[in-house]
Amino acid sequence: MTIMKILISDPTLRDGNHAVKHQLTLEQVTAYAVAANAAGVPIVEVGHGNGLGASSLQVGLSLLEDHAMLKAAREVLTTSKLGIFMIPGFATINKDLRPALDLGADVVRIASHCTEADTTQRHIGFARERGKEVYGVLMMSHMAQGDVLLQECRKMESYGAEGVILMDSAGASLPSEVTEKVKILVDHLAIAVGYHAHNNLGLAVANSIAAAQAGAVILDGTACGFGAGAGNTQLEVLVAVLEKSGLSTGIDLYKMLDAADLVRKKLLESAISISSTSLVSGLAGVFSGFAKHVERVAGEYNVDFRDILFELGRRKAVAGQEDMIVEIADALAKKNSPRSSK
Amino acid sequence: MSLPVPKLKVAIIGSGNIGTDLLMKCLRSASLECMMFIGRSFTSPGIVKASGLGIRISDRSIDAIINDPASCDLVFDCTSAADARRHWPILKELGKTVVDLTPAKIGVMCVPAVNLQECLGSQNVNMITCGGQASIPLAHQIGLIHPDAEYIEVVSSIASRSAGPATRLNIDEYLETTEGAVKSFAKCKNAKAILILNPATPCVDMQTTIFAKIDNPDMEKLTLAVKKVVEKVRNYVPGYQLILPPTQEGGRVMITVKVQGRGDYLPMFAGNLDIINCAAIAAAEAFAKIRQKQA
Amino acid sequence: MLSQKRILLDRVNNNIKRIALPMKNIPHQIIEQDCEQVVAGKLDQLAGLRGETLLITGGTGFVGTWITELVIHLNDHYNFGARVKLLSRQELDSRTVTPHLMGRNDVEFIRQDVRAITDLPEDVTLLIHAAASPDTRLHASDPLRTIRTITQGTDAVLAAAARLPRLKRIMNVSSALIYGSQPWEVKDMAENYGGGLLDCASMLSSYAEAKRLGETLVAAYRNEHRLPIVNMRPFAFIGPYQRLDRPWAINNFIRDGLLGGVIRILGDGETVRSYMYASDMAFWSLRILLSGAVGCSYNVGSPDGIRLRTLAEKIATCFPGPIQIECRGLIDGKGKRSKMIPNVSAGESQLGLSVNVDLDSAIRQTILWNQKTSCAEK
Repeated sequence: MTIMKILISDPTLRDGNHAVKHQLTLEQVTAYAVAANAAGVPIVEVGHGNGLGASSLQVGLSLLEDHAMLKAAREVLTTSKLGIFMIPGFATINKDLRPALDLGADVVRIASHCTEADTTQRHIGFARERGKEVYGVLMMSHMAQGDVLLQECRKMESYGAEGVILMDSAGASLPSEVTEKVKILVDHLAIAVGYHAHNNLGLAVANSIAAAQAGAVILDGTACGFGAGAGNTQLEVLVAVLEKSGLSTGIDLYKMLDAADLVRKKLLESAISISSTSLVSGLAGVFSGFAKHVERVAGEYNVDFRDILFELGRRKAVAGQEDMIVEIADALAKKNSPRSSK
Repeated sequence: MSLPVPKLKVAIIGSGNIGTDLLMKCLRSASLECMMFIGRSFTSPGIVKASGLGIRISDRSIDAIINDPASCDLVFDCTSAADARRHWPILKELGKTVVDLTPAKIGVMCVPAVNLQECLGSQNVNMITCGGQASIPLAHQIGLIHPDAEYIEVVSSIASRSAGPATRLNIDEYLETTEGAVKSFAKCKNAKAILILNPATPCVDMQTTIFAKIDNPDMEKLTLAVKKVVEKVRNYVPGYQLILPPTQEGGRVMITVKVQGRGDYLPMFAGNLDIINCAAIAAAEAFAKIRQKQA
Repeated sequence: MLSQKRILLDRVNNNIKRIALPMKNIPHQIIEQDCEQVVAGKLDQLAGLRGETLLITGGTGFVGTWITELVIHLNDHYNFGARVKLLSRQELDSRTVTPHLMGRNDVEFIRQDVRAITDLPEDVTLLIHAAASPDTRLHASDPLRTIRTITQGTDAVLAAAARLPRLKRIMNVSSALIYGSQPWEVKDMAENYGGGLLDCASMLSSYAEAKRLGETLVAAYRNEHRLPIVNMRPFAFIGPYQRLDRPWAINNFIRDGLLGGVIRILGDGETVRSYMYASDMAFWSLRILLSGAVGCSYNVGSPDGIRLRTLAEKIATCFPGPIQIECRGLIDGKGKRSKMIPNVSAGESQLGLSVNVDLDSAIRQTILWNQKTSCAEK
């Protein structure tokens, strides 16, 4: 019986950064990178929650500059590859991508909103020109149907991506949707398909397994589910479930558990769980990274965070549109008095 | 009996959406007359439209002006940065004033609400980018009132449909051009530009937020100054609207504006394309005024 | 008027700082060797070219440039006395045109958008319509432009050709993609093959469907205007002048090798392709133009398929080792395999065509040219 392997990509030190408002320190980066490397995690992704060059007033300033984080991780990663993530529109080749490649990044992910893949052409091409392993990422993938996603994936394939990852950035998908979308891609693409789930509806691991069963060979997860709002797929759980299902990852389970304990002790500020904000965010189909901003702004303007979230969902806000949160709260505050019962 | 004031003779090179929308605005202008609409192919929809309106057309690109230099005094260049750089030495030699809508960064940067008069001494004025036109009037005020503000950030979201293949391929250039201009006008040390494409339907209008990190911001002064400059912009961009006045939130100062287009040729949601065109027309009309005074 | 313009442009050009030319100092000996090898002993097959005036639309592209190189070789060494006119939408300067082609009095440049052509020069006797870009990235990012260039362009060119007083032959450069996907069980596709799969409702089919319509237009023009026209269906090529950033396997493998890095195969390496060297492509194209049966289509490409894995290994041996080879994208699983192989027996039997340059030589020459070219840039 052929054992099909799953390639795990671990964005604990990138997507996880959302959980601490992008304030990961050098010690934390180094400590986790060492632990992940020891556990045999294939790819360790490092950076601001929204990727290279995203440190901004719009989505949050990070404590460390990109190059500092990358250098720290690069120094301690031996068998694990160093991954970076970037979104054209936030980061540029000259300011962000080229320096990161020069610092020794091995794996590059270029992301766009799930209907805007052609914004990644230059960047994927740039990384490919330098012989790097490049993947395309489609964010907020719940917002497009399978056939549209396929077309966008084919664009990335033509630009030189060797795989595409569907990101359920809002944690809004059900397993049946995941199966359907992944299957369409696996059936029609020549390149690898991956899935990156979020846990807003408590379905991250289930969605990841559904993706694997539909033919995805790349899965993302973070230790303890460390990430924005309800968090990402809990990596140690995913690894265990995959092994139990006969899909090997090459990761040492015990050492992965050690890495998770490290995160629990040294990185987590509060336990990752599905709060009301995260649940409503998932239902409204809003980018998970908005959650903390929404909570803060709702408090300031004395409006119901749920109203803000549903309005963001109604307006189909995409990643990077955090400025809309304040504008909506301001409008709500002017229109009504706050809900009396809550 | 006084003679009618002569209009400034202009030519438009670049027959895509921007050029065609610009043509429609020229037709409405009291001081500009479009003498030639120039592209590279007679099959371009813009050229077909211009021809239908009785405007003189050409598919010879810059050669059209070389072959008939007397036809125009001012040229709008709506081609591409690379082409604009090729055109400029020729147009300079021919003594034409150029209003450049590409990110070629050749001439002096012009934001009509901020530095229109100072630009009129230049032979080449550059309209920067749409995000630049939307944000710089505000960033400039921040820079005046708080010269200590070290960092200004501009985030623009535009409808996915208003961003064509050329925009998508050149996002990096757009960001770098906008950042450079913000730094220059606001006189701040650092600037960052972000561009988001949103595919929601019905299509969203352009929305731009300016952020600044300022210790002890004078919110009253800022609000007054911002409201004043917004009115100034509305004089040439009627669809420019302040939707979030200067607000302190989360340790940053933020201001949000929305731009809805006039719908001259492009749909109304393409406020991003409209604002740069409106700015270009404002610049050209200012040049026209000087000419009229000289005459 | 013309001299005025020339004075102006000269003055202007003297003031422009010249940008470093990617094509400067090309080792032309490689090209000359290739041309000589492919025409030696076969001049009679191209005799119809003597004294003729050939116009190539999309003339500054890979196909156009190589055909021009072959023609000027025949002029320089065998007194063919042919003239070439290259028509292109691009700004025709040192960046887009090979320098040694400029300044020759048997090569002329015309800047024109193919979609808007109304007239072609009256002295044209041979026409090759090659204006289109086979770059899949462009097809993905700008499907409308892709479709318009091919459909409107072909229509305009053929309409203008129909009024040329001395036109003898036309060749339309179509595409192997018109066949659709080649099923795995099928060994190769001959010109009458109709079993490929193509989904017309997908934007990803924009290039293939436009090229198919192109061939239908050709048939209609042949019928209504009695045009002496043939189609050529190019498969895959490799050689000098082809950019290594093009999204095709062999280009990527060579580029990875030149970078000294890992050669990455997407999939499991079992996909089968075949590659013809540029000089063979140029010769076959001219032969088909001159002697192909009117109204027929001819495959141009190598009939010898090779697994991508084997191709990668071949290319790896051309570099100081060891060059690693990795199958990316699928781990331990079955790859999505595809094939695209031409059956060229029609060209072989009817036109006496043969493949002159074997794959190993093709790879070696291409690598050598790329190495020499990048050296020249430094």
